[in-house]
Amino acid sequence: MELQAVLMAAGGGSRMTDLTYNTPKAMLPVGNKPLMWYPLNLLERMGFEEVIVITTKEVQKMMSTDPKMKLDVKMKLDVVCIQEDGDMGTADALRHIQQKIKTDILVVSCDLITDVALHEVVDLFRAHNATLAMLMSKAHEFTETVPGQKGKKKTAEQRDFVGVDQSGKRLLFMANEADLEDGLSIRKSIMRKHPRMHIKTGLVDAHLYCLKKAVVDFLADNKSISSIRGELVPYLVRKQFSKTTNCPKIKDDAEDQNQKKNDGSTNHELLISSRDEPLLQLAQDRSCWNDHRGDMSEAYHGGKLRCYVHIMDEGPCYRVNTLAAYIEANRLAPKLFEEVPVHPSAVISERCQMGSDSYIGAMCQIADKTSIKRSTIGNSTTVKEKVKVANSIIMHGVTIEEGCNIQGSVICSNAVIGRGADLKYCLVGNGQQIEPEAERTNEVIVGADQLMEI
Amino acid sequence: MAGKGGKQSRSSSGLSGRKGAGDQEEEEQPLQAVLVADSFNRRFFPVTKDQPRALLPLGNVAMIDYTLEFLTSTGVQETFVFCCWMASKIKEHLLKSKWCRPTSPNTVHIITSEMYRSLGDVLRDVDAKSLVRSDFVLVYGDVVSNVDISQALQEHRHRRKMDKNISVMTMICKESSPGHKSRCEEDDVIVAMDSRSQRILHYHKTQGLKRLQFPVNIFHSGSNEFEIRHDLLDCHISICSPQVAELFTDNFDYQTRNDFVRGILVNEEILGNQIHMHVTKDGYGVRVSNLLMYDSVSSDLVRRWVYPLTPEANFVDQKGRSCTYSRHNVYRGSGVSLGHGSQMEENVLIGCDTSIGANCYISNSVIGNNCTIGDNVNLDHAYIWNNVHIASNVVISQSVVCDKVEVKTGVTLNKQCVLAYNVVIGPDISLPEGTVVSMHHPDEEEDEDDDEFLSDDAEVGHSKDKTKLKAFNPAEVGAEGKGYIWKASSLDDTEDEELVRKNCESEDSEPDDPDDPVIPSPETDDVKVFQMEVLGTLQRGLEENIGFDNLVLEINSLKYAYNITMKEVIQILTSVVLEYPFQQQGPQLTPAQYVALLLPLLKKWAPVFKNYVKRVQDHLDCLSAFEEHFLEQDSHWPAMVKVLMNMYQLEILEEETILRWFSQGATTDKSRQLRKNQGVRTGHTAL
Repeated sequence: MELQAVLMAAGGGSRMTDLTYNTPKAMLPVGNKPLMWYPLNLLERMGFEEVIVITTKEVQKMMSTDPKMKLDVKMKLDVVCIQEDGDMGTADALRHIQQKIKTDILVVSCDLITDVALHEVVDLFRAHNATLAMLMSKAHEFTETVPGQKGKKKTAEQRDFVGVDQSGKRLLFMANEADLEDGLSIRKSIMRKHPRMHIKTGLVDAHLYCLKKAVVDFLADNKSISSIRGELVPYLVRKQFSKTTNCPKIKDDAEDQNQKKNDGSTNHELLISSRDEPLLQLAQDRSCWNDHRGDMSEAYHGGKLRCYVHIMDEGPCYRVNTLAAYIEANRLAPKLFEEVPVHPSAVISERCQMGSDSYIGAMCQIADKTSIKRSTIGNSTTVKEKVKVANSIIMHGVTIEEGCNIQGSVICSNAVIGRGADLKYCLVGNGQQIEPEAERTNEVIVGADQLMEI
Repeated sequence: MAGKGGKQSRSSSGLSGRKGAGDQEEEEQPLQAVLVADSFNRRFFPVTKDQPRALLPLGNVAMIDYTLEFLTSTGVQETFVFCCWMASKIKEHLLKSKWCRPTSPNTVHIITSEMYRSLGDVLRDVDAKSLVRSDFVLVYGDVVSNVDISQALQEHRHRRKMDKNISVMTMICKESSPGHKSRCEEDDVIVAMDSRSQRILHYHKTQGLKRLQFPVNIFHSGSNEFEIRHDLLDCHISICSPQVAELFTDNFDYQTRNDFVRGILVNEEILGNQIHMHVTKDGYGVRVSNLLMYDSVSSDLVRRWVYPLTPEANFVDQKGRSCTYSRHNVYRGSGVSLGHGSQMEENVLIGCDTSIGANCYISNSVIGNNCTIGDNVNLDHAYIWNNVHIASNVVISQSVVCDKVEVKTGVTLNKQCVLAYNVVIGPDISLPEGTVVSMHHPDEEEDEDDDEFLSDDAEVGHSKDKTKLKAFNPAEVGAEGKGYIWKASSLDDTEDEELVRKNCESEDSEPDDPDDPVIPSPETDDVKVFQMEVLGTLQRGLEENIGFDNLVLEINSLKYAYNITMKEVIQILTSVVLEYPFQQQGPQLTPAQYVALLLPLLKKWAPVFKNYVKRVQDHLDCLSAFEEHFLEQDSHWPAMVKVLMNMYQLEILEEETILRWFSQGATTDKSRQLRKNQGVRTGHTAL
């Protein structure tokens, strides 16, 4: 076994609380499949037979009841539950399962939908004996109208600055705009080693990482790091160019200083070495291959810690962590996986106009004279007569009474839409009742208790 | 007519083709160039005291000829040569050269003025005289290049057509990795640019920097791909729009091109001017900006990197200056005689009518015309100019020997020596590394001018009389030697550079910075300045007998000026006062002398202390500074107790706090030792 796969599925979806109020993020239906099915499918296609799923009790319960999960995933899922309110970061979660980690790992987030050729990332990891290999993609513009959003909301998020070398693979620099108020600062020694650095800003981190086992061991010793993306990755990227990890024979006084700094805790330095270290070293010495040109120093300038990134130039790569991304993913994901438009168990009246880009889930009942276009309708949903649904996402167990007109909206599970209601660009929360003949435009309709939270 | 002639000669001169540009160009104005034949610095001093840099021979051809050949081959039809320092010599040279023949495709106008002090002055004059009509090429007279700039020119014109006159300059850079020989550490730049448009966003010299800073706002230009490049060698060739001259006029503080580039980039949002970059992968383009570069460019030239500008090409078209080229890059001029057993190893260029004795060993060297070299001479990386006499048994390595120098027998020149014009060295002397010898006395320039912008003036003759009075030192230049040793030489710079390079390497070994990089706080400087100021204040207070309240007032205002905390004020005041006797009398004072000097001072300044040292914490701060001072001066521990006692008697310090300090303060071994000191113990018990 070369890599162990770890799926991080404990996230709460804090950036789309309206959707995740009753359904955990990992279980949100996208194209009538729970969100976490997509990364699992990605891993399965890659050939993994076993996945460690880190998740919450709630999700675990839903997983055992969700028929989809059982049907489609052949891999052995090793579900590890962590406390929901424990406020654990992704790195904390890795530390939690350290005992289970025997080899290098591949960490995937549950909200990733992509058709990336995953071997590209892994190949980078293998070829360069890298400490970290990660996946990034060009950011996509979301075109769909987002319910409850007035006007075009600018993405208030700050850009990430990602610096790669000339080949576009080696990760040299990483910082968020927020941390760069004093300007971007790069050590000259880095520029001497990699004289041409490309700084890219329009990238999305897919939250897919290959990590050496040593990194997990390092995490176990460094309890202060709690998030992979927020702390661990920037740390590793920075660490690439520090001498302390680059040369094993540190001067004694330097070591003393480190010891002092570490205040007794066992091992704060990342020890990147593998079993075959002497052999690899020998191979490198004998080889005339080099990763850079322009000077005569050894490959990788003798650095042992190396971070690489694969940047997808094209192809879909979404992180479903906002409402806009969720809507976009719903529209695109089924196409990506060539979904059957209508589940065999759905009952659809013959006098229903259905566009070819709509997807109807299991056990649905669609009545006469309905029109469904560019929409996804979840399992066990009832759509009564003369209903028009366009550009919408209807989750599971929703009842839509006669004569409704639903456009560009998201309707969460178990909601009931009253007779003749007219919803445009609305988000209807879990289990909400919309009174008959209501006319709502651009609203977020959630329960009072849901509003209280936040 | 002129245009046609220009093109023909271009194809005949055999430089890389520029067929594509031809058609377009015909509608446009003939291409003009501004050549600045003055460096406005003293990098080549003292060699340039006798000859302007543009005329220094590089591979036995004056540097300016390379620049003019480059301009002509790139299609320039009109060149304005601006001279300042030794303008008449440059003029004379050019008038004799092929550039001023009627058949020359490149019309050369020579403009001289004593008033030029910088590149800025030259360009302001270009504007005043409205010499340029359209885009022009700006180069220095010491650029050696074979870069084909036609593509850059096209791009520049295209950009100007697309966005009306926004792009004012296109800089030509060559790709070459850091540490490349042709890169000059002094001129190393870091460039941030927009990947797509090649627009320069940030341009900075990197010499002496450890961290490279980029303001964030340069990344707000709408693009999402940027490049930070450190692999660029600035060729010092720029294609300028006519506005450049106007901009120099508008901004009279622009002196160098660097000022200009920085100014344009900083004011980009206001003025809307942009600078672009053209990166060439092949070709050669280097400015000979110092002697280190002189060394590397010369050897590149001999190794034929600047093809077609090779030594045997004789592109300056001088009669009798042709030479033959043979294996291992050995070039011989006509009339060269080589003695029995002499070897020319590789990369050797020997000028006309030079005779070399027997059993010489020459490698990687350039020897000028009409030189005589004796027997058993060893030359490696030696640059021997014209009419030089070298006697037998001489060893020269990596040094420059200028015209008419005489090197007597048995002389050894170690690395990086420079023998300026007419110097005589020897016999039997070894010059240490980095020696610079000139017939001009190093002091004479100080007499002449202090203006650093001066590229020097013509008063050399007048000062010669003075130098005659000073005798040559035979220990320095040999028994029959003539010349003075220069200490502050340009070669020092090259050594500095090497040091810098070493620093850069050692920088790698610095331990990893903590998560938040430590920003060197400007306070530390402030504290130092504050300390100096306090010292100055007290000194003046003594000399002019200023009252204590005025002293306090002054120190208070200093405290605010440098933003110093009260604690620091107390500590600095204490240490300044305790240092004061050393400051005045030197460090060799005995403890007894020290006490004798200090006690009256303490008495005088006691009111000042009392003004600051009030609370218990203040006392402790004062004592900690006191302790620190004596920890450094451990030979003066006997004096300590007396000073302490005195401070107690003057009521600067209180008994309680002294006792508290004594019992608590010890943190290190030495301070513990200090407290154990007999004197303090007895003093302690006395209290």
